[in-house]
Amino acid sequence: MKLALRVLLGFVAGLALWWSATPAYNRLLAGMAEGAIRAFERPRATRLYADDRRLVIDRADFPSTSDRPSLPVDDLTFDVILFLSLAATTRGLSRDRAMKGIALSCCVLFALHVLAVVANVEAFYATRLGAWSAAHYGPVSRNLWATAEHFWRFVGCYAAAFLLWWFLVRATVPVAPTASRAPSGRSSSRAASAGGRARASRPREKG
Amino acid sequence: MQPAQKRFLIRFVLALGAFYLLVAIQPVNDHVVVPFTEFLVRISTALLAAIGEKTQSAGTVIQSPAFAVDVKNGCNGIEAALLLVAAMLAFPASPKQRALGIAAGLAVIQGVNLFRIVSLFWLGVHYRNLFELFHAAVWQTALILLAVGIFLAWSRFAGGGGRVEARA
Repeated sequence: MKLALRVLLGFVAGLALWWSATPAYNRLLAGMAEGAIRAFERPRATRLYADDRRLVIDRADFPSTSDRPSLPVDDLTFDVILFLSLAATTRGLSRDRAMKGIALSCCVLFALHVLAVVANVEAFYATRLGAWSAAHYGPVSRNLWATAEHFWRFVGCYAAAFLLWWFLVRATVPVAPTASRAPSGRSSSRAASAGGRARASRPREKG
Repeated sequence: MQPAQKRFLIRFVLALGAFYLLVAIQPVNDHVVVPFTEFLVRISTALLAAIGEKTQSAGTVIQSPAFAVDVKNGCNGIEAALLLVAAMLAFPASPKQRALGIAAGLAVIQGVNLFRIVSLFWLGVHYRNLFELFHAAVWQTALILLAVGIFLAWSRFAGGGGRVEARA
């Protein structure tokens, strides 16, 4: 019951944070992703700017009279809600190591969000601009960018949040052996260890 | 990182990548994923009719005079199923424990996903302004949380099973 309450609190907090911070976060994301794209393109033509919950793609070589395409960003960043919900389930969350794990995970998530935006913009260039796409992107790069974009939206964002919690937050919290779960054989030891928790012989903290 | 954790990480990433590539292949998508999604749509349409919504299905589309949705990848529960199966395959457990966990986990995920589709359509008809929030963030996160919860519960059971096996 306590665990369900923790998940719910983490979920509500994550949802509120994500919903309210998204416009500002998107501006930061646009700036970083624009820098990453322009670092590798010649001529440097891409401009990205946030428009509420979307990112608008502008290019210096787009006709000035044409509409500017935009990408929905919510799909790329909402995994922070999942991560915070999972983090809230962790006992001993206030420990230094757990907090460092959360901070490090948030930094990694931000870097992954930047890469996801880069992949989405490149996939847009590679597959949505007709003859221009065919002239500037070969079959391999078209498939690569489209797969990267699809992978992140389909499973990558969830897997990233899960793995960051599993290895950088949950694994930092020690768990004491209990009568019913004390590892007494190789198989069980492997399972407890793969479960990502720190040394099983250390006392459990009140969470 | 301990060796067992490394093994779990490597197996999980490999399994997830393999499953992703499998469902991303066009023939698999056309002959397995799309028919499965159409099956979900037919059940969802029947459930919506049972609660009084005037709906009909056409392929992967559920429609009524007031609203329509096209159920695509990401809304058919396959992403949560892939994560769950990859995690269960990566975790050390016996084949029987894995088979039981996967079968029960997939059944629960798809059952909840039906409720998700029905509730989203209902929201779209009656509270359109809430639809996008629940579609993009709430239900997506809830379904993955459910998959992680199932995995954690199963991993405790599988860990205990390992202890019993080691004693035998």
